[in-house]
Amino acid sequence: MPGWQTFYHELKDKNFEIVSVAQDTRGVKDAGAWIEKANPEYTVLIDEQHLVTKLYSMVNVPTAVWINEQGKIVRPNEVAFIDDRFKSLTHMDAGPYLDGIRDWVAKGERSSFVLSEEGLRKRLTPVSPDRLMADVEFSLAEYLYHAGHGPEAIPHFKEAQRLAPDNWNYKRQAWLLSDADRDYGTNFSKEVQKLNGKPYYAPRQMPEPANKPD
Amino acid sequence: MRKLFQLVILIFLCSMANEATSQVRPLVIYDGAVTELRTPSPFTQSKDLWVTLAELTSATGFVVKPQGVCRGELCFPLPKQRKGDFLVQRGKGTWFNLSEFARLVNQPVAHDEKLAAWCFGPRQEAQNDYLATLEAPNFTLPDKSGKPHSLSDFRGKKVLLITWASW
Repeated sequence: MPGWQTFYHELKDKNFEIVSVAQDTRGVKDAGAWIEKANPEYTVLIDEQHLVTKLYSMVNVPTAVWINEQGKIVRPNEVAFIDDRFKSLTHMDAGPYLDGIRDWVAKGERSSFVLSEEGLRKRLTPVSPDRLMADVEFSLAEYLYHAGHGPEAIPHFKEAQRLAPDNWNYKRQAWLLSDADRDYGTNFSKEVQKLNGKPYYAPRQMPEPANKPD
Repeated sequence: MRKLFQLVILIFLCSMANEATSQVRPLVIYDGAVTELRTPSPFTQSKDLWVTLAELTSATGFVVKPQGVCRGELCFPLPKQRKGDFLVQRGKGTWFNLSEFARLVNQPVAHDEKLAAWCFGPRQEAQNDYLATLEAPNFTLPDKSGKPHSLSDFRGKKVLLITWASW
């Protein structure tokens, strides 16, 4: 987050905003300390119901979307790290993506990183009935968890995970709320090992930068 | 001492009775709002969620009208041949089958039988609406001090929307 603050500071006078949204069922209790530590100038919101995950069909964090002045999506879901700390998981450099944002902020719709309508439609596909069912199972599970029915929430978290097997948010959030090994028979590091070299994040499809470095 | 003992027994029995009635009062989660239904359903054998017309409106905002089941501009006509699947007269009241209605309008429902909790999600069409315009779906969420912010507040600026999590 401190890295994003520096990045925001660089671009904030160019009609650019960052809206950063924490996907945390326990809200401020879990996310609060991170926000206080970084104390960024940009907007940080708390999303206890993982609404943004659902609305934008996200499957992991951090995921970013570019939205233009008219409120239209110009570049959908992509992994967005501010630095290369997690390169072992991303298998990607953070730099080209950040340079892409700089290019977009400078050139707007003329930026080669802004997708055409056709390009957007290839990436944004309708949500399947299974995915919608996963979302509602997850919502019920979160409600039960908050209502003090932690053990009763688990079958619904599991159903959400079964129906949306690619969604890491639904897995990792549920695992955090209980003893993952005991209740789910697995945990994050075990699941990452199971990937066996397959990327945790979908590879980015960015155009080549206009000025290639030598 | 004996009276005290009787009182304790009485309180215990009352709390048991309360528990028994609360178990048959379904919870409806609709558009994120939670409503505990007050009128116990007469359809005890039904796997579906039946609600009174008054509770249909208080829990979901929908109203049964001659032209269909409506909320504001939105109206879903009930199939003529199947009206009896949705609306049933029982005693003085009319009951509405909310889970059958969800199936009719492609709305996902999650149900916890033991806790009698029903959670209704967005209709498939509503969820995919933004694909027509490619407009970024709007949302309103609080910051850490509880102040609400909407994505649409930032109209006129470029926005990098980015999610993260503590886990």
